[in-house]
Parts: sequence; C-alpha cells; structure tokens
Amino acid sequence: MKIVRFEQVTCRYDEQTILDTFSLDVEQGERLVILGPSGSGKTTLLRLLAGFVAPHRGTIYIEENAVSRDGRILVPPEQRQIGMVFQDLALWPHMNVEENIGFGLKIKGVGTTERNRRVDTILKLVGLPDFRKKRPSELSGGEQQRVALARALILEPKILLMDEPLSSLDESLSRHLAHEIVHLQEKFGFTLLYVTHRSEEARIVGTRQLEI
Amino acid sequence: MKTRDLIIGIVILVVALLLFWKSGQEMTEKRPVVVVYVSEDRVFSEPILKDFEKETGITVKAVYDTEEAKSTGVMNRLIAEKSNPQADVYWANEPIRAEILKQKGVSAPYLSPNAKEIPKIFKDPDGFWTGFSARARVLIVNSGINERPESILAYTETRWRGKSVIANPLFGTTTAHIAALFTYWGDDRADAFMRAMKRNGVALSTSNGESADFVAAGRYAFSLVDSDDAVNRIRQGRPVTMVYPDQKPDEPGCFIVPNAVLLIKGAPHPKEARRLVDYLLSKETEHKLAFADCAQIPLHPDVEIPEELQPIDTIRIMQVDYAKVAAKLLEIQPYLKRWVSE
Amino acid sequence: MRLFLASIVSILLFIGIVPILAMLIKAFMPDDTIPSLFGSMQTWMLMRHSVILASLVTVSTFLLGIPLGIFLGKTDLPFRRFFIFLFLIPLLVPPYIIAVAWSDLFQMSGLPLHWLSGLPGSLFILVSVYLPLPMLLTMIFLHTVHPHLEEAGRLVATWPLTLWRVTLPLIRPALLLAALLVFLLALGEFSVPMYLRYNVYAVESFTQFSAFYNFEAATAAAIPLVLFAALLTVAENRYLRNRIAIPRHFAQKNEFLRITLGRNRWSVLTGMACLAAIFVAMPIGSLLLQAGGIDSYLRALHVAGDALLRSFFYAFVGASVLTFFGFFTGYLFLKKPFYAARTIDPLLLFLFTLPGTVIGIALITFWNTPSTNIVYATTLIVLFGYLAKYTALTARISLATLAMVPPSMEEAAQMTGAGWFQRMIHIVIPLTRHGILGAWVVASLFILRDISITILLYPPGHDTLPVRIFTLMANGSPQLIASLCIVMIAAVVVPAAVAWGWFHYWGTKR
Repeated sequence: MKIVRFEQVTCRYDEQTILDTFSLDVEQGERLVILGPSGSGKTTLLRLLAGFVAPHRGTIYIEENAVSRDGRILVPPEQRQIGMVFQDLALWPHMNVEENIGFGLKIKGVGTTERNRRVDTILKLVGLPDFRKKRPSELSGGEQQRVALARALILEPKILLMDEPLSSLDESLSRHLAHEIVHLQEKFGFTLLYVTHRSEEARIVGTRQLEI
Repeated sequence: MKTRDLIIGIVILVVALLLFWKSGQEMTEKRPVVVVYVSEDRVFSEPILKDFEKETGITVKAVYDTEEAKSTGVMNRLIAEKSNPQADVYWANEPIRAEILKQKGVSAPYLSPNAKEIPKIFKDPDGFWTGFSARARVLIVNSGINERPESILAYTETRWRGKSVIANPLFGTTTAHIAALFTYWGDDRADAFMRAMKRNGVALSTSNGESADFVAAGRYAFSLVDSDDAVNRIRQGRPVTMVYPDQKPDEPGCFIVPNAVLLIKGAPHPKEARRLVDYLLSKETEHKLAFADCAQIPLHPDVEIPEELQPIDTIRIMQVDYAKVAAKLLEIQPYLKRWVSE
Repeated sequence: MRLFLASIVSILLFIGIVPILAMLIKAFMPDDTIPSLFGSMQTWMLMRHSVILASLVTVSTFLLGIPLGIFLGKTDLPFRRFFIFLFLIPLLVPPYIIAVAWSDLFQMSGLPLHWLSGLPGSLFILVSVYLPLPMLLTMIFLHTVHPHLEEAGRLVATWPLTLWRVTLPLIRPALLLAALLVFLLALGEFSVPMYLRYNVYAVESFTQFSAFYNFEAATAAAIPLVLFAALLTVAENRYLRNRIAIPRHFAQKNEFLRITLGRNRWSVLTGMACLAAIFVAMPIGSLLLQAGGIDSYLRALHVAGDALLRSFFYAFVGASVLTFFGFFTGYLFLKKPFYAARTIDPLLLFLFTLPGTVIGIALITFWNTPSTNIVYATTLIVLFGYLAKYTALTARISLATLAMVPPSMEEAAQMTGAGWFQRMIHIVIPLTRHGILGAWVVASLFILRDISITILLYPPGHDTLPVRIFTLMANGSPQLIASLCIVMIAAVVVPAAVAWGWFHYWGTKR
C-alpha cells in the first residue's frame, strides 16, 4: 500500500521555487533516505508531509486521504499521527526526560500509571533506563538523540520523519545510532523518511534512496 | 506548567479584574452618593467635602482639577460628558467657567435657599450658577516703600517704572481680571492700559504666588495678585501689605473672583446634588474657607472673618457682568498671546 | 487559534484605533479650525520651539547616553549594576516630579528660579528623564554584536577604535530607533515644559483642550504630533524592524567581550558618580530635605494612602491584562497566520508614541454614551486607556523573547498531537516565562508612573497616586508635595529594585 503520496507538488518560499511539480510515492514499511545538497528542498519535503507548510500547488496524501492541497492544509499536523525527530532535536528544556517523552500521552489523556509504564518500556528500548528525571541539558549529544527518538516513537506513529538527526554527532557514534534506528524500525514497522547529506548514513539506513 | 497552577492563576486574575471593574462602580445604590467635579484647589476643597460626608452620611466621589495651567480640566470632562452626565455638581474656582458651562448647556438651574443673602452680582439670575467665598484681586505692596500705590493704574505711572510685576496674563485669575477690564473700560481704553503697562517695563512672573514672593523679597515694589496670596505672605510675617485697589468713587473698584457652584443637567443624583449645593452655599462653609489658608472672603454679610480680610460690603466692587467677562475672555486670548510674546 | 488571535487583535483595534479614527474624522468635519491653525505665526513659532527642544534633548541624551551605555554595559566598571539602576530612576517616575524636585532645590539654595524656567530647564529635565533610553538600548544591543566581529577588530585596533568602527556601526539601527523614540517622546511631552513655562506645540494642543474647551482645535493641534508618530512608525517598520525586533544573535554571559578599564576605572567611576549625583541624587536629595522627618511621610500616607494602594492595584491588573494581550500580539506578529497581523505591531507602536492626552480625549468622546456606561462609568475605561497606550511595550518584549524560542519546540509538540492551546500552555508560555515576567514588570512600572491617561479617565473618587499629587500641587504645602513625591518614587523604585535583583539572580543562575 502507498502510505505517502505527493502529487504534482509545487512549493515556493520567498519567490524561490523549492519544489516544482514534484511527485513521490512511499510504500508502507519503507526506509526512504532523501539525499541532496543544502537548499535542495529535503527539509521542505518533510515539513510539507508533517503539515507545517502548505504546497502552493498539488496534493499530498497519507493513506489515500488528502491532507494538503493547493495552498491549504486539510489536516493539521497534530492530527496526522506522524512522528518527527528534528535536526536540533527540539527537546523541551523546561521538562525532564520523562516529561518530554510522556508529553504526547498526557495530551491524549493517558493516565499517570499507564504513562509511566510506557515511558519505562520505551526508555529501555532506546537504552536509557536510568535517565527519567534528568533535564535535557544534563545529557550528552547521543543521549539527547535517543530521547528525541523515544519521544517520537512512544505514540507509535505509522510514519516517522527524521531531519538530519545525527548531523551534530561524531562519525562513529552516528554510525552506531544509524544502526539502532534501523533496528527500531524493523521492530516497530513504521515507515521512515530520513533526510541526510551523509552518504554513509544513507547507505546504512535506507532501503531506498532519493536524490533531490 | 502545572494545570493546577494555571487554573489558580486564571482565577486570581479574573477575581482581580472583577474587583477592579466593580471598584469603579457605586457599590450599592442604597447608600446615597454624590459626584462632584472640583476646580477649587484640592487642598482647600477636600476638607469641606469630607465634612459634608460626615454631617450628611452622603458619600462624596470627587474628580479634582490640577493647577489651572497644568490642567486637562474637569470642565472639559463635563463638556465631553454632556450627553451622558456622570457628575452631579461642579465646584468652580471662578465664575467664568461656570458661565461657559451655562452657555454650553451643561448646567441646570437651581436657586438654593441658602443663596438669598448673596449679592446679585455674584449669581446667575436664573440660578445656573451661584457664587460664594471669593478672592479679591488686590495689590501686594512691599512695606519698605514710602508711598503705597492705591490703583492698578500705578502699573502705568512713570514713578513705578520697572518696579512692578504681574503674573502671565495667559493663565488663571489674571486672564479673568484683564477680561473684566476690557468689559468695564471698553476695548480701546483697556488696550491703551495694557500698552502703557508694557511701556512702563512691567515684569512677567509665572504665577500670582511667584509675584507675591518677588514683592515680599523686595525685587519689585508691588504686584496684582489674589487676596489669598497676599494674606499668606502676611501670615508668614513677610514685609508686605495688602491694598484693595481703586476704592475712590470715580475708580473702577476691586475685581472680585468668587467660587461658583452649579448643578449638572441630567445629574444622576439630583437630590443629593441639591444638598451639596446648599451646603457649599451655607455660611458655615464660607466661614471655614475664610479661616483656611485660602482666606476667602465670605459673600454672606454677617460671617465672621479673619483680621487680615475686609468684609465684602465695605469693599468697593468692580461692577461687571460675569457672563460678558466670560465672552470677552475667549475673545481676547489671541490679543493676550501677542501681548505676552511681543 | 486563528479565531482566538483574531479576536485579540480586534479587541485591541477596537479599544485603541477606532476611537482615534473617530476623533480624527470628527475633527475634520467642521474644518475651519485647521487652516486657521496652520495659518497663524503662533503655530509656527510653537512648532519651532517643539522641534528645537526635541532635537536638543535627542542630541544631548545621545552624547551622554551612548558613552554611558558603553561604560555600563561593556566595561568591567565596578558597581555598574547599581549605576544602571540609579540612572533608570528618572525614567520610572512621572517626569513632573523631577521638575518639582529641581525647583525645590533652587528654592532652598536661593538660586533664581527663572534660570530653571524656559528652554534650559525643560531641556535639562527632559534629558535626565530620557537619558536611560539610549543608555539601555545601547547596552542591550551591544549583546547582539557577534563577539567574533569585535575580536577581528581587536586584532588590528585598540578598543576605542574597535568600538567606533565596528561595534557602534553594527548597532546603528538600534541607536537610530532610540533617537527617534526620544525625539518623539520629547515632542509629545507637555507636563515638564508646561511646569517650566516653555511654550511648545504639545502644550498648545493641550491648552486648546484645557483652556478653550475646543475639542476640534485640540484635535487639529494634535494632528502634527499624530503625523510625526505615524512617520516614525512607518520609518521604523520599513527600515529598522527586521534588524531590531528580532535579534539574530544574543551574546551569552561567557562569550560577551568586556573591556577591562584597568587603571582608568577610578576616573571613570568618579565621572559616573558625578553624573549620578547631578541627574539622580541631587533632585531626590532636595525632595528628601524638603520633606523633612517621618511625620510628613505619615501625613502623606494619611492624605494619599488610598491612592497609593489603588495605584498598585491598577498596576497589577493593568499589567496582567497588558501582558496577556501583548503576548498574543507578539506571537501573532511573529507567526503571521494572516495578513492583518502585519499591521497590528505598527499600529501599537503608533499608539505608544501618541501623547496620552490625545488617546484620553479620543476614548472619552468614543465611550461616553449612556449605553456604554458599563465601560465609561467604571475603571474599565482606565484599563482601556492603558491597553491602547502601553500594549506596544508588552508586545515588543514578548516578540523578542518568542523569537528566541526555536520554532521546532512548538512543532515537536504539534507532532505529538498537542493542539494550539495545549502547545501554548505546556511549551511556549513556560519557555518564555522570563520574558513574560519582564513584560509584566515593565507594564506595571509604566502604569504606576502614568499620569496623562489616568488623569483624563479615572472615575470619580478613584484616582492614583501620581494624579493625587498633581491635584494637590495647587497651593499644597511644599513639604507635603515633597513627601508625596518621595512616596511616589519609593512606590516605583522599591518594586523595580526587587524585580531588578530577581532578574539578576536569575541571570547568574542561568
């Protein structure tokens, strides 16, 4: 099944055309790596899918439902059930690890005990079992990366977007984490759209590569 | 942020906002209230209003004016509120404003029983305003001078050349006084007086109070000021005397500036308003204002007065129609501006 | 979200802009006053006075304020925090209090009062009042210069040369904004020139209103001031905003380059102390002397205690409401979800630069009808006045802090399914809480010192302390007035000092 579909999408930003009649199909369970020089529209692609920007022309579908069309956002980001790991990770500095990860569940009205259980499980999965009460500023780069991943995964999204998540880490660590991401994807079975400019990462993560 | 904290915060804010909003309204209509706008100096008027509150149990809510030149004027507020009156009573510190309010249709007629003995000249014939407790425009003279000026014409006499001072005629009672001269003498004679005064080297001060201080300090021989300015300096033991000018039969007489009280048309509390007007026009109020620092001259004949003052019926008063003075005051503004800046 | 923000904007527009527009239209209807106003020599003379005074104030505050800002914000001068706070005081109290203080000083020392009146006095007092503006803006914007740029300069030149050729040119837009702001505030200021009898245009517009009861002429006289304010707003919007409102870089404590004064520090310290003595210590000292002992303060509290409490209450409620509106306006302006959002910030700035009396008159004429007594006959009208005049402050502070929060913070919350209100409550507001608190403090200080709005709008019997002092000044004893002024200064300075200390504490903790 095609879980994501871009149909003749054009996107402009400040008079500059980033994407021009761009079309793309993504299969369920795929790990699509998007490669390209900076300014080529990799990040825009993710932001279009997440619903932060609307395409000027064209339609975007998720599971056959149109979510954005011709300059309008039909389904707002918070209702698209997509997970995303940002380039700067965007961990909320005023919350500890547990609160960061559990935030989405709290919003959905999941009770405290259930929430704690699920946070525990996910922390074990990403290898940070004893970090619940720490603040993001007390964590190393790799640890922060795992927390961001855990926060995205706890809601069990069908699609996960990752925008150069490992760019700030050194090579050996990022290689290690790239393998872990693959491992987690195989376990959860979500569809992954992964933006990077490093070819090695792309090779490890991707089942398919797209150059734009 | 904890949801609980947020709710507590919002509740506090809403309560504060409600309190804030309510605090400006009258709490209960049952307790009698009267709203008065006051142009007389707050220092002198507030004690009187407090006494009224104590004696009648009516709550007084007041808006006070600031010193004339600095004021935005409660009077403008009255005009602005004409279609939607908030005030019941206006206590003006001179009759000119009261006249203007009459002309603008802001005031309502009320002939107070307490005003019967007040001389006609100090009242609007239809009761649109009534005068009480007055200041006289007097000459304050330094005691070290051999001969005392007896008339405002001293300003134009060569022997007083460079020895006189007057407050800026663009402000306050000085403006009213000059407007009165224009009404009394006619434009030509008044204009000649003003020119002669200027030729004679009169100095300009910022206020009557400053003029009085200059004279007390001996910088100038005399100045035209309000009686309270002169009385104050005398009470401070400064070397000055007070002269009621132009008292001879063929002279214009002394210009008197009474307070004036008026009822607002469409006042929200008319009953209380009348009681306040009656109270202000009573002999007791005039007595208090005579013995306060403002030393105002009672207009009722038989009110006791401090020794520095002279009873109103022994002063030769400049006979002018305050309505005409009010009209003249507006008319001569451009003239006065030119006079000051030339 | 759109609905909520749109209603915030509409409320603000309705409270602020609509009355002004209504007044302007009314003023232009019977239009014989306007030609006569512009035709007379008197008008041009006043205009000349205004421009002379405002230009001199601008130039003087700049010549003093920028070096002051550099010494206090960029060097390791001892006690610099204390000095900054000291210089801020004249800006925090109603300007007329400084004028009263100086005339007290002249009176007590037997100096001729006429030295103080007219242009020299007005100039001096307005300089001491507005000096903190260029000083503060210089200090703040020095932090927006990237340290690498200065380091590159230091490799080839001394510090003074680097400051002159690198640092100051980089913050020129901010300095220009400060200059325009000072010019405009000085142009609209009437209480000081009026007290010292210097005839300027603002006084004229005011006298038209207060002495001749002529609303049309007063409005017409206000039009040049309105035009000046509009001009500034347009200029700011066109040339400066993007470089000022949202700083790209803000130096953290450890990366900010500080100049070591070395042996010069003592001479600089002495100079600073002299300036502080002239601008702050002498006027306040003369008030303290004039006020006398404890008794007179007790008497002052007896006379005006209720007004003091009311001042605090108004400041509390007003600042809270203003912060609320300012925060969402700032947010709106940053995110621009719809086109109208672009106009709201310039409009608020325009209202801020408009003289308070003009706003007051407009609000009276607009709200004063029997059907709107629920607003006009209550304290709500005062709140509306504050909203119209001061929301620009809270909006700007909110905008600056909001701009420093990476958009991904909110987007990440959006990805976890949080709606707009939830994102605001759980993410955006906690992340900007210090900015919000700062906006609240600034708003409350401005409301505490406000006189022009309150004096026109307060419901009978509900005045604030600055208004009470102003009304008692006519024939009140100098001792009473001085002690009231000291109470007023304490009422502003003590909370300000607490806030200052708190922010400092937070700053070092961070």
